Amino acid sequence: MLPDYEKFFISPEWKSIRVNTLKISKEKLLEKIDFEVKEMPWYEYGLWAKGEISRSLEYYMGYYHIQEAGSMIPPLFLPLQEDKKSIVIDACAAPGSKTTQMAMMMENNGVIIANDVNIKRIRALVHNVQKAGAMNVVIAAYDARRLYSMGIEADYILLDAPCTASGKIAKVESIIKKWNYARIKAMARKQKKLIEGAYHALKKDGVMVYSTCSIEPEENEEVIDFAIKNFNLEPEKFKIRNLKTRQGIKEWYGKRYEGAEKCIRIWPQDNQTEGFFICRLRKY
Amino acid sequence: MQIKKILNRKEIKKIEEIIEKNYGCKVRLRNMFMTGDEKLWIAGEDVNIVALSNLKNCYRIGIYFGRLKRNNKIKLSMEGATIVGRKARKNIAIVGDKEAIKFAEGNDIHEYKEIDCEKNNFIIVKRSNDVIGVGILRDDYIENLIPKARRMR
Repeated sequence: MLPDYEKFFISPEWKSIRVNTLKISKEKLLEKIDFEVKEMPWYEYGLWAKGEISRSLEYYMGYYHIQEAGSMIPPLFLPLQEDKKSIVIDACAAPGSKTTQMAMMMENNGVIIANDVNIKRIRALVHNVQKAGAMNVVIAAYDARRLYSMGIEADYILLDAPCTASGKIAKVESIIKKWNYARIKAMARKQKKLIEGAYHALKKDGVMVYSTCSIEPEENEEVIDFAIKNFNLEPEKFKIRNLKTRQGIKEWYGKRYEGAEKCIRIWPQDNQTEGFFICRLRKY
Repeated sequence: MQIKKILNRKEIKKIEEIIEKNYGCKVRLRNMFMTGDEKLWIAGEDVNIVALSNLKNCYRIGIYFGRLKRNNKIKLSMEGATIVGRKARKNIAIVGDKEAIKFAEGNDIHEYKEIDCEKNNFIIVKRSNDVIGVGILRDDYIENLIPKARRMR
């Protein structure tokens, strides 16, 4: 363990919220709320908030959504504000934070197919989509490894894959207790199947964003390396202003990963978010 | 999702007229459909309801708008009320902060200001311009209709 590891732990005092512009403008929300907020330098609708954020009338009305700051980043890798009329698949959508964020980016235009295989988790997705007033969302329950069986070709796919969540260590210390290598390997196998499923549901020239909240190279760069070598996918560099990011890991235990220099790693200590891995891929 | 009927323009117009009669405002609605005899749903303009409802594992399309009653009234959902409520001119009850919280928590309320309200009818409860929910105006109180899952905890 690092001697100064505590500095990596995120202060639990400040939570993150996202303004729901489908219901209210940011300016009007700021006039109404009575808890302390700070702007997020890298996302205009993200706010750091201190106080009783889950017990306010504004939250009840769906004016804002409580969402981990790091989880607001992957949707920003898709050009949805410029291409509002597109067909988007959120492959592993529950509980719906990113789905409703994308609906907001598209201003309820186009279509978002929010998919999740777990019926229990779909209930939370249904609740959040309804509360957000996200009318362009269609909820489906397919196994994302066989997304193509839906028979829809999407312009954009967000694959926020299930993972070991080791990027949450900075907030949830119990993750350390669950950590084991066999679990990482099993998860990586599943993620490779998921990216294959998503690839077949993507239009030619379409864009897929692969993300996890894990910091393990096996679940991230290795999955991207697998996708580049086996499918017509090309990683693309992408940058978000004022967000501190680092390149993917190019080599890990003797394995060299293709495309890692175009992947992005977000470390907890850099932006006070969870750890995240994100890669934007284009189908050619 | 078992869709019973996709509403055509004429049928949507009828819904708009019911809303106008009940809430004194014109709203332009599009892309609506019904599941069962009463449940009304609304989807985004670009959502192809026919095609998407044919997906084998389609669970839900758009958002729940409200329930169409036989007496030509609509029991709006919270989101349906939000769409209608900002323009509504009648069957409105205005409440202060304290009563708004009480109502959002699922309680009936006794202190409110009526705007052109009809007794025993559905009304929209607002705090200033914010829609808090839907209730029924009884003799001296507003009966709370916010579903349990949607209440403030």
